[in-house]
Amino acid sequence: MDKVNDRFRDIGAFTPLADDDMLICRCEEITKGEIRKAVHEGMYTMTEIRRYLRCGMGLCQGQTCAKLVKGIVVRELGVLPTELEPATSRVPMRPVEMRVLAKEEGRC
Amino acid sequence: MQNTAQVIIIGGGIIGCATAYYLAKKAISVIVLEGSDHIGNGGSSRNGGGVRQSGRDPRELPMVTWGIKNLWPYLTEELGVDVEYTQKGNLRLGKTPNHLNILQRLTDRSAACGLDVKMIDGDEVRQINPYLSKEVIGASWCPTDGHANPLTATLGFYKKARELGVRFITGEPVIELKKVKGKLRKIITSHYTYEGEQVLVAAGYESRAITAAVGIDIPMQAVKMECLVTEAEPYMFEQMLGTAEADFYGHQSKHGSFVFGGSTGLETYNKDNGKQISTSLGASCTCRGIIGYFPALSDAKIVRAWAGYIDECADKIPVISQVEEVPGLYVACGFTGHGFGIAPGAAYNIAEIISEGTPTVDMRAFRYDRFQAKI
Amino acid sequence: MKRYDLIVVGAGPSGLSAAIEAARQGLSVIVFDENEKPGGQLFKQIHKFFGSKEHKAKIRGYQIGRELLAEADKVGVQVKLNTTVIGMYQDKEITVCIEENVRHYKGDSIIIATGAAENMVTFEGWTLPGVIGAGAAQTLMNLHGVKPGAKILMLGSGNVGLVVSFQLMQCGCEVVALVDAAPTIGGYGVHAAKVARCGVPFYLSHTITKAEGKDHVTGVVISEVDNNFQPIPGTEKHFDVDTICVAVGLSPMSQLLKMAGCKMEDHPRRGGEVPVVDAYGETSISGVFAAGDVSGIEEASSAMIEGRMAGVCAATYLGFCEKEEKEEILSGLSKDLDSLRQGMFAPKNRGKNIDKTEEGIAVSDNLLQKGYIADDEIERYPGVTDKKGIHPVIECSQNIPCNPCQDACSRKCIKIGKKMTSLPSINDEAECSGCGMCVASCSGQAIFLVKEDDEEGYATVTLPYEFLPLPQKGEKGVALSRSGKKCCEAEIVEIRNVPAFDHTSLLTMKVPIDMVKTARFFQASQKGGDRYG
Repeated sequence: MDKVNDRFRDIGAFTPLADDDMLICRCEEITKGEIRKAVHEGMYTMTEIRRYLRCGMGLCQGQTCAKLVKGIVVRELGVLPTELEPATSRVPMRPVEMRVLAKEEGRC
Repeated sequence: MQNTAQVIIIGGGIIGCATAYYLAKKAISVIVLEGSDHIGNGGSSRNGGGVRQSGRDPRELPMVTWGIKNLWPYLTEELGVDVEYTQKGNLRLGKTPNHLNILQRLTDRSAACGLDVKMIDGDEVRQINPYLSKEVIGASWCPTDGHANPLTATLGFYKKARELGVRFITGEPVIELKKVKGKLRKIITSHYTYEGEQVLVAAGYESRAITAAVGIDIPMQAVKMECLVTEAEPYMFEQMLGTAEADFYGHQSKHGSFVFGGSTGLETYNKDNGKQISTSLGASCTCRGIIGYFPALSDAKIVRAWAGYIDECADKIPVISQVEEVPGLYVACGFTGHGFGIAPGAAYNIAEIISEGTPTVDMRAFRYDRFQAKI
Repeated sequence: MKRYDLIVVGAGPSGLSAAIEAARQGLSVIVFDENEKPGGQLFKQIHKFFGSKEHKAKIRGYQIGRELLAEADKVGVQVKLNTTVIGMYQDKEITVCIEENVRHYKGDSIIIATGAAENMVTFEGWTLPGVIGAGAAQTLMNLHGVKPGAKILMLGSGNVGLVVSFQLMQCGCEVVALVDAAPTIGGYGVHAAKVARCGVPFYLSHTITKAEGKDHVTGVVISEVDNNFQPIPGTEKHFDVDTICVAVGLSPMSQLLKMAGCKMEDHPRRGGEVPVVDAYGETSISGVFAAGDVSGIEEASSAMIEGRMAGVCAATYLGFCEKEEKEEILSGLSKDLDSLRQGMFAPKNRGKNIDKTEEGIAVSDNLLQKGYIADDEIERYPGVTDKKGIHPVIECSQNIPCNPCQDACSRKCIKIGKKMTSLPSINDEAECSGCGMCVASCSGQAIFLVKEDDEEGYATVTLPYEFLPLPQKGEKGVALSRSGKKCCEAEIVEIRNVPAFDHTSLLTMKVPIDMVKTARFFQASQKGGDRYG
């Protein structure tokens, strides 16, 4: 929260790379190029990238791709990995069927 | 770094971003200050995605209908981002005669204002949506309602506004508003001082503390609500759904996942730890609500549940208004949990008030000074 | 609402250790684990652990797991398996999925010991079926008895990559190469040596540039990399494989702690996002602790100590243990933990370029780059001596906290001394009995028994052997050198298997006397089926 993040600062233009079509988020099939482009469209945080593209919203909730996405984003932004805030963690830790979540045993 | 602009907007949610966009289209310089680290981190990214007219306070109808007619259908193309606007109607469901009474009242109230909404029986409901339980005995049906993707819509407005030159700064919580020689000009954060000719406070519940600095109070309370989302499911239906007693509301997104919200009844009393933390009860309660109407979704897997605050205004509709007694101040907040659908319309009109002085839609119902004692 | 003195999430080495320590202090403890078997990563670990006797050295991982479970049972710890803790909320409340429904529990204290998950690395074709994590391969092999593939390339030369490569070979897979973009091997030299002498080539400063195949892996291309880790054109090498194992590090699974509102930090050396904790594991929420890999990637031995620390702190927090007793226990545990965190691979030395051992001996560059100590380097080390008659040869060249060899010899032939990280040396005064206990006790399989004058012109070399089928006495084959190359003909003169060796067979082979310093592995003559026997 102490980090002022000016979204107007110059991070350079988006230049296509040879491996832009590489899949990064397997669950939602998001490519490296889509992530890089999203940064240049203003998505400077992991949370914004996730909401904009859906990477990290699939079944594994970012377990596989979070570090990979982070590496791509920090390179586009030109910042250290520790400067990029991580996304929020939420219930359920593993996907749960509705009928199981609905069955709250022994609730008072 | 230039810290001055014609308009300073406090709040980077959909209202702040969309207003910035509509102002930028008129070549007005704008700076948007967002207190958290992310654009759209409040209700804008946490809601159930409803774009509806039915079930609203009649005072909101002219603006939301205008937005649905003139703005929503064109947003995807205009912003260059798929906002997934789907206009396939809204079913508000009932299982008991009491539910139907509630729905009838809502329907009559809106129909009286000219909205195309009517009551239908259980069979007609299942013709529209065959997945609904046999226990549903009726619903209100509004064919011009729909839903959209709040995440991409909010970030879409942000992206386009930024392209047009709006300067967004996150991590800049506002500490104080300051008048200079009788006019509101300065916005003080813990890092800098910003200056503008006009200032729009669109910071949800936090607006209240911010406007207090210039003696303006908007009667709101923060109420924590919860939602959840499933994994992608095969396509089932396109309507927006709700129930008479708010057991759940939601829709199936373009992605295939179902986004639902619900209520435990304890929302007004929920505490937090400084973050928008979920309760241990919300998700299970919403699931029971859903299964009660959608047995077909019993095996759908929930992948995530979240929480967010709504800024509940005293009379349950927003304040969107110029604050004449503080020259330079404008306010747009208090959307009370139904701000998403109305946001483009609200933003468009407050942008007009700021830039030209007169809005397209009559905004007098949303004035900041409307709150009176009951006697 | 069911309330426990202590809720532990994760029944791995740190979770169980925490539960045992707390239960011993009198707390009511329940442990939840989402797996169907407890023990966390321990049950996949079929190799012998390093360390000292107190650290359970020379005991195989799964055996340690069994011992922990038995101890937990004895002190009355409840362990609930197939139970996923799906959320942690305010007021130290958790929700748990158990038997098709959700239950709420509250703990007066909570210890999160959820461990870590494997990282992935991207290259063209990385999403093809056949690209799996090394840990996943280990689970397949060691828990489910499924061979991960036939021909495998391993990416990653840390301990996981090295240990799993060896286990893949034990399982009957062929490991065609071990690749790492770094210029030197990241894991223990002895783990690398085990793999190298089986003939697996190491390609340091190389990376995978492509996984080939249409709907599953059929081949892989690696390239040398420059100082910026960019592939150098023209250096491509191709291998036919059906599996690519990726061992590129672990990330703590700290999501529950984050969800509950603990203060977190991005700590690259600890593996990523970890809770901010004090020296004993307490997070920013009092009464909530983190122990094991979830608070920083290390290994099972340190995880167990961290678990015990958190357990005793939870006990004191709840008034079950007096402050003085806690201080005493913690002081002992801190010393234990500290003794593990010494040597060349200590967390404090990570990233440092170490060119000499603590004794001032030059490290083997060949070991760091190719996985084996070169013939002209081996005699630097105090464990390698010339002697008449049978004697141990210890090819241990790195300072790691490990000393089972010293205790193994009843004749006091092997000396390490008080400092556990010291290189083992041979006591010239003592006379070796040839019992082979040292060979079997070395978790790094780095000790050999050598008899230089067995028969005119011949010598025998006794080595640790953990492959099936076991060769037979009299069987002829070839001896491989430390580099995995064939160096001479060899004949098996003895195979020994006693309970004290704990499933390590001792294979004695006869080789020409001039090969006594080079012959270090045996390969049977007839091929067919497994490559190594």
